[in-house]
Amino acid sequence: MAKSIVVLRAYQDGLHLNITPTFSVTEVTEAIRKEFERMNQPLAGVSVQIDMNAPLLTEADLAYLKTELQDTYGMEVRGLNIADGTGDSTGVLGEKRPLAARAERGRIEKTRVVRETIRSGQTEDFPEGNLIIYGDVNPGGEVSAGGDIVVLGALRGSAHAGMNGKLSSVIIAMNLVPLQLQIGNYISRPSWGQKSRGYPEIARAGTEDIIIVEEL
Amino acid sequence: MGKVIVVTSGKGGVGKTTSTANLGTALALIGKTVVVIDADVGLRNLDVVMGLESRIVYTSMDVIENRCELSRALVKDKRVEGLMLLAASQKNNKDDIQPEQMKAICTELRATHDFVLVDSPAGIESGFRNAAAGAEEALVITTPDVSAIRDADRITGLLQHEGVEPINLVLNRLSPEMVRKGNMVSQSDVVGLLNLKLIGVVPEDREVIASTNRGIPLVHNKNSPGAQAYMRIAKRLTGQRIPIPELREKGFFSNILDWFSGNK
Ligand SMILES: Nc1ncnc2c1ncn2[C@@H]1O[C@H](COP(=O)(O)OP(=O)(O)OP(=O)(O)O)[C@@H](O)[C@H]1O
Ligand SMILES: [Mg+2]
Repeated sequence: MAKSIVVLRAYQDGLHLNITPTFSVTEVTEAIRKEFERMNQPLAGVSVQIDMNAPLLTEADLAYLKTELQDTYGMEVRGLNIADGTGDSTGVLGEKRPLAARAERGRIEKTRVVRETIRSGQTEDFPEGNLIIYGDVNPGGEVSAGGDIVVLGALRGSAHAGMNGKLSSVIIAMNLVPLQLQIGNYISRPSWGQKSRGYPEIARAGTEDIIIVEEL
Repeated sequence: MGKVIVVTSGKGGVGKTTSTANLGTALALIGKTVVVIDADVGLRNLDVVMGLESRIVYTSMDVIENRCELSRALVKDKRVEGLMLLAASQKNNKDDIQPEQMKAICTELRATHDFVLVDSPAGIESGFRNAAAGAEEALVITTPDVSAIRDADRITGLLQHEGVEPINLVLNRLSPEMVRKGNMVSQSDVVGLLNLKLIGVVPEDREVIASTNRGIPLVHNKNSPGAQAYMRIAKRLTGQRIPIPELREKGFFSNILDWFSGNK
């Protein structure tokens, strides 16, 4: 499945913008525009680091990108990290892991399994733990959980993970096209009418109020 | 023992009454005995659509209040063998009937008829609850627009909660024009979202309005696309396996639908 050529990710040291290096700067700029439009969240003032695997963009291109991020989106570019190795993106990021990987391992958590689609006007709340939906969450339907929410279908309605404030909670859906996502007190309303990307995605709280969505 | 099927939608004006009149008539045309019940108390119009308005003497209210026998309140449609209408009272309102009373009527009728179709009012309040009370199955009618689909989803949740099963979906008024205006959601998107079994697609058909005004259900005029769609749905209701003809097979539609559903 084709990944997006730019991916915004949250790491312990803040947001990183990962850029797949085999594209022209025009394509990268366009991909950034699409990705940010899809997120539909205020990014002004947010600090970001640009990560690339190979130095395929020229220095002029990089300068252009930096200006673009600063002027168009009001973001602060705090650094640029280019690995000249081949391919493997973990090379760049080293031991810094995405936030979701911080989940405490080996702990048994309470989880409620719901074996039906949550339709318009219906809600499913499970403040005590995680929620797994074997179905869809339709527009007008709402699910909330103290921990993570996993939708093994399409999430088209609203989901609130970490409803008691647990910011390490995540929302996963096979098909993530929500009206609204909330993790702890971070809210995102992805732009309306998004088509599914055709692969499972995960949403997690980034830094500075931003909810990050990426391929699972 | 016959089947009681509630015809419902949540949103108003999407074709519940049109569908009840046409499916009732279509089922009778293929030899079934049918009663269509108008459950839209206070805003009845199934009788008008079926051209039976002038023949109504008693309504379901008269039956409930013991002013007449159920069998006497049924208005026979003389154009086709085996089709009867139980009219709604126009003088009363929806809260004058209790779900158990509707249920009793449906139970009595299904003992002697193959199909009992209940035309539900719009909304999710008492009128809908009365209409659904005696039903074991449902036809959810929607048009391909976001708000109708949202309401169909809402009503489906309520029906499932009541244990109504199966719930089949009728997609009404699918039209190339709406696609062109960008107002239409594709057939596959509707079915994908509602996750119901699609029992038929009725195209937008001007003949519907003409037939409504004449008080002669569309299916009496077999040539129109709408009539053919309703005839096929009726046959599917009797258990015949007739594939849903993909509107996309006709050149123009096919392109647009494919384009919309990303199947290109
Ligand atoms: N397939 C169709 N093509 C064209 N017009 C249609 C079609 N189906 C329904 N209509 C028109 O839409 C209008 C509403 O239809 P109808 O009365 O059957 O809806 P309803 O769901 O029963 O409405 P209500 O909620 O008010 O009871 C009518 O004018 C009818 O002629
Ligand atoms: Mg009606």
